Amino acid sequence: MDTSYLDLLMAQQEEVTEEATGGGGIWVVADVVDGAVAPVTLEALGAARTLADSLGAYVYGVLLGDGVADASTALTTGLAQALYQAGADGVRVADHPSLALFALEPYLKVLADLFKAEQPEVIIFGATTRGQELAARLAQRMDGGLIEHVTAVTLDEATRTVQATFPIYGGEYFEIVACPEARPQFLTVEPGAFPAPFIDTYRKGEPTMLEVEPVEPAVHVLGPVEGFEPPPVPLAQAPVIVAAGRQAGDFERVLRLAVALGGQVAGDRGARDAGWIGPEQVVDVRGVTVAPQVYVAVGIRGDTFHNAAIEEAKFIAAIHPDPDAPIFQVADLCLEADPAEVLPALLEMLEE
Amino acid sequence: MRILVVIGRVLDPSGMVVNRRRGRIFINREEYLINPADRCALEAALRIKDATGGSTGLTTSVEVMALPRSPLPDDDVLRQALAAGADRAGQVANLPPTAGDAVMARVLAAAVRKLGGADLVLIGATTLDTGQGQLGPRLAEALGWPQIVGAWMVEAEDGRVQAVCQSSLPLVGGAGGGIGYATVEVDLPAVVTVLPGALKPRYPDGVRLINVYRAEDAVEKWDVSDLVDEAELQPLLEKRGQDFPPERERGTRLSGGPEEMAQALADTLRQQIGRRPATARER
Repeated sequence: MDTSYLDLLMAQQEEVTEEATGGGGIWVVADVVDGAVAPVTLEALGAARTLADSLGAYVYGVLLGDGVADASTALTTGLAQALYQAGADGVRVADHPSLALFALEPYLKVLADLFKAEQPEVIIFGATTRGQELAARLAQRMDGGLIEHVTAVTLDEATRTVQATFPIYGGEYFEIVACPEARPQFLTVEPGAFPAPFIDTYRKGEPTMLEVEPVEPAVHVLGPVEGFEPPPVPLAQAPVIVAAGRQAGDFERVLRLAVALGGQVAGDRGARDAGWIGPEQVVDVRGVTVAPQVYVAVGIRGDTFHNAAIEEAKFIAAIHPDPDAPIFQVADLCLEADPAEVLPALLEMLEE
Repeated sequence: MRILVVIGRVLDPSGMVVNRRRGRIFINREEYLINPADRCALEAALRIKDATGGSTGLTTSVEVMALPRSPLPDDDVLRQALAAGADRAGQVANLPPTAGDAVMARVLAAAVRKLGGADLVLIGATTLDTGQGQLGPRLAEALGWPQIVGAWMVEAEDGRVQAVCQSSLPLVGGAGGGIGYATVEVDLPAVVTVLPGALKPRYPDGVRLINVYRAEDAVEKWDVSDLVDEAELQPLLEKRGQDFPPERERGTRLSGGPEEMAQALADTLRQQIGRRPATARER
């Protein structure tokens, strides 16, 4: 049976018509990475859609850049439409050569003029470097409250106030904060914290172009710094640690795993005895006590001193051939296997 | 050249236990640290001072002054800054304890004007506890100055400030091939936020430490009413509660062959690393 008429019907119905503007609405300022809308923006649109449906408000997306309005190339066909498909009711596009690379003043000018005219209720940015910079300056300019690194939102419907959750001490616990009176309410949402929204490929719309007055950026980029490496994070504060023990097998693989995960290498006393690591890398209550977000113990049996030193780790994965190894009592994820068998496959998957 | 350093304190997390099941926070030792990023900002200021001959004891044209980041109930942090090498410190009395970053930005901007201006404001890019980094940009906006956010190194001379930042440009560089670093420059006056861990902070000099604690008037005091109107002290944000992550379930054992285990582990690791809050470096 030919069902293509259904597609046509759907396409007609889902044509997004933007209501007359003038106040309110939930606005999401898009991040564009490598010619595509960043995942954090889509997640923010999903969150905005949920809030807007409870408030009876519209969701708007804002795109800034050079060539973002160009729908002729395959790469950029989606930019404005991707925002519609992720839940935006209206899209504003500022397309100008002066916006090609992020610079504070030109971006700020466009957004400040736009938001001054539209008076949004909520403005959402991704918690990226530029999102954080823009949100804070706009919030101060417009006397709005800003909550950064938001991981969850609820709504206080009576006062139309967003209650936002953000992590304290990197996620030890969370605080819930609201901006009860000042409008607009600014949020920056943490990448990966909200689910990716349903992409409705039938939704589409016609973006509105914004006038762009070029502004000279104040900060000049002089050029790349050759050979600059930021100072290393001490092991005790490292966010990701891969540690080796006596049963680790090939230490080279442990190093590769650390690189693949973007973490630091450590080990227990056994690794020190084997000469793989230095004394400052021994995880042990008599050595370094660590508190990473992720700790991978490769072939560590886990004596009392070692296990006490990793107590503060948020997530522990352990690989050891002995099912009775004490490390399994403190690990979140236990792999009873020989690291020599698991690591090659694991590296292959992570190094893609 | 006058450099202002905005410096605050945070509760030392090692003296604190979070009980997720009962949803409570137990503070065993109420001890405070200087916010690590602010300490780096202070260090950056002192290095600029040293570079102009400050460390030789000769007269230098650079004056470093410490100001509070939040309504501090005591001046400990400011005295620590003085001991580490700051020339002056200013405290704002009678700030409402609820004053958030928006209010502090206004108060500090008023303080800058009261001082008769400044050339450079250095401040930590984030706080250790809440992870909020808005005070620097908010202060820049309140002053109407340009800003550099997330600096690894700061140098200032001849009316300009240069900083090394993680580049938002598609630059080639960095050993990993992904992250590039660029030198950026802006004319003074400007606000620069410094990342935690960017510089190794110095220890305060012992004699200075004793002296700043002995001197009653080591920290200059302003009253908030001299700086801003009361109407401007209304906080924007309001705390609505706390939330605790679920308790950990330990000891999930994976089954299957090495290949399947590796797949499950790879997925979990990707998820865990993707979900963890961005560290200071990524911010």
